[in-house]
Amino acid sequence: MTTQAFFIGFFGLAAVWFGVVVFRTHSMMRSALALLFSQTALGAMFLGMQAEFLGVLQIMMMATEMSIMAIFMVMFMMDPGGLGEMEMTHQKRLSLVAGFVAFTGAAAVAVLFDWGPVVSVAPDAAQQTADLGLELLGRSMLIFETAGITILTAMIAATAVAILPIEAKTTTNEY
Amino acid sequence: MTSLLIILLLLAGAYLVAVLEAWIANGRLRFATPVLAGIAMLGRESIVPRQPDRIFFETAPVLLLISAILGAMVLPLTPDLITTDLATGALFINAALVYVLVALLMAGWGPDGAYAMIGGWRFLGQLIAYAMLIVMPITAVAMRAESLLTTQIVVSQAGLWNIVYQPLGFGLFFVAAMALAFLPPFDLATANSELASGVEAEYSGVRLAVFRLARLTLVMTLAAATVVFYLGGWQGPWLPPWAWSGLKILAVTAAMLLAGRLMPRIREADLMAWGWMLGIPLALLNIFLVGVLVLVWP
Repeated sequence: MTTQAFFIGFFGLAAVWFGVVVFRTHSMMRSALALLFSQTALGAMFLGMQAEFLGVLQIMMMATEMSIMAIFMVMFMMDPGGLGEMEMTHQKRLSLVAGFVAFTGAAAVAVLFDWGPVVSVAPDAAQQTADLGLELLGRSMLIFETAGITILTAMIAATAVAILPIEAKTTTNEY
Repeated sequence: MTSLLIILLLLAGAYLVAVLEAWIANGRLRFATPVLAGIAMLGRESIVPRQPDRIFFETAPVLLLISAILGAMVLPLTPDLITTDLATGALFINAALVYVLVALLMAGWGPDGAYAMIGGWRFLGQLIAYAMLIVMPITAVAMRAESLLTTQIVVSQAGLWNIVYQPLGFGLFFVAAMALAFLPPFDLATANSELASGVEAEYSGVRLAVFRLARLTLVMTLAAATVVFYLGGWQGPWLPPWAWSGLKILAVTAAMLLAGRLMPRIREADLMAWGWMLGIPLALLNIFLVGVLVLVWP
């Protein structure tokens, strides 16, 4: 139990530290990968909490997502290598307030919400995976599918916006 | 103890891959060459390029090696010879091997070299093409086994191997595995002739040795994964289980290396187009077919 608590705490601190590194560095690439390792540490926390499927899934998904984010940050930021010491933070007062409100809200929910009785022994990982599958394709199917279709729609819309209109491509040389 | 044994086996496997690769590439079967080349590499100066991103530069080869080894940890060579039989094994191997991409991005960005960087970003594009073709065929394999346990996946093939049960999935996985290991014709990240070795370009000496070893281990891990998912793992008549695993893994490795030898390097845009316009529909069809098959003929 203490070992478990130690590892959860350790990876929690690692997640926070890498989160801080995201803004301390000037390099877009370091920033993106620091965010990746912050998320990986969260995945490791899930593993520490014996939620194997969630942990492995988090560790897998984030690697691809953050790598893809890295290329967009490098493409669109004016100083991707960080050689010009670009300022990584902006709208500081708003960010401070938003961060404080979000943290207080999350902490309040964690402390004040009645979570019901805590299971003393976590079910084994195979059982958890089966339960999760039944949950996703049963009671939570509507939420799950709605989220999936929303993301798919956003992806198609983003691609459509990114493609040059056909008439512009064929008629003018303005681009 | 099992972990140590598996790591030693991976090392031996990496050596055999190196021998095979040289044999297939230039037709000379020499058993001492990889060892001598390795020793020579260790003896050379390991140059650090000007103004590198030092953390990425140093981490990349090690991360690549760790990723390949972690992937192998959930693959059973015999019913008992497996480091950890995770309940999410078939998912875990994906999670481990995604960090191949992270390692190559680091190796691309780290040394502050144009060729390396192009190689690294190319591999990101390559991932967009192959990633779904790794995950979706594994989904169909797990559907048949009704489990993500890799040992259970092998056991589920007792009657009929998955290569016969779902040949479409096997074909897709095999090609995608080659792309993941950036073997020719998918060696866009390292492309000798156009990028002067790409992500490997700025590495030398001991760092290059680790990088090469990691790549060979990765090929081994992927061949083992193909055997576990599609070729019935340790199963086979007469010979003991470990021998069957070993033989099959070597055969798959040889097939991968040979297939790459016979084809010209693919273009990035073609890879992407084939991956998305041909590969993913086929993978979905495979999932559908296996779904129907599992219901009528488990």
